[in-house]
Amino acid sequence: MISTIAGRGLLFALFWWVLAEGRLEGWGLGLVAIIAALAASLVLLPPRRSRFSSIGLLAFLGFFLLRSAQGGAQVAVLALRSGLVLRPTLLELPLTLPPGAPRTLMINALGLMPGTVAVRITDHRLQVHALDERMPIAAEARALERRIARLFGAPP
Amino acid sequence: MPGMLETASLLLLLVGAFFFFAGTVGLLRFPDVYSRLHALTKADNLGLGCILLGLAVQAESLGAALKLLLIWPLVLAASASVSFAIARRADALGIRPWRRQGD
Repeated sequence: MISTIAGRGLLFALFWWVLAEGRLEGWGLGLVAIIAALAASLVLLPPRRSRFSSIGLLAFLGFFLLRSAQGGAQVAVLALRSGLVLRPTLLELPLTLPPGAPRTLMINALGLMPGTVAVRITDHRLQVHALDERMPIAAEARALERRIARLFGAPP
Repeated sequence: MPGMLETASLLLLLVGAFFFFAGTVGLLRFPDVYSRLHALTKADNLGLGCILLGLAVQAESLGAALKLLLIWPLVLAASASVSFAIARRADALGIRPWRRQGD
């Protein structure tokens, strides 16, 4: 609890420093903003027992940066190719991530991965719109899900 | 040395503009709401990343550079969740995805 508050407070202080571009004269207002942000974050995302893994975060960020760049490049090529080469389809995939932050991250990250946009989510299933049915969408989604599970310290 | 930084910055800005252009072409050419979301979210994400990186390279202070780079994850979170919201709404309205006919 204490370490969560300290960690988040530090993060928001860093954000303020970045927003103020390193200047010092606004820190009175900054302090108010940091405390307000901290209060909002504790209400919206209460600290929990589950261990958030830093190594998992680095692994996720590396994977995400690479795959989202590939996703952007791929869709750019598809858009500029002469003749429409899309073969869109809807896929239903199993979803094992717990509700809350892990699922939200999964849905949002999927929209930036190559060829996928989440369309519908129910208890244990995720419906995904795929841009091309020949792409390995299910394997892609599973790889993303595994990394998110590791990030939140959930059992795989 | 400053010449090299400026060249890198210029290249990143041009690449970023290219991806925004490609995303817009996709928005106009793709057949339905779902595939247009792919083009808009993914290509613009990459374009914005390149443009912010290109601007950050030229920034006058570390704080200003980090501020530019901070825009990227914030816009990313917003555009990804808006994209899901639009897809979910389209699905709830019963809009069927476009399928290739014939083969």
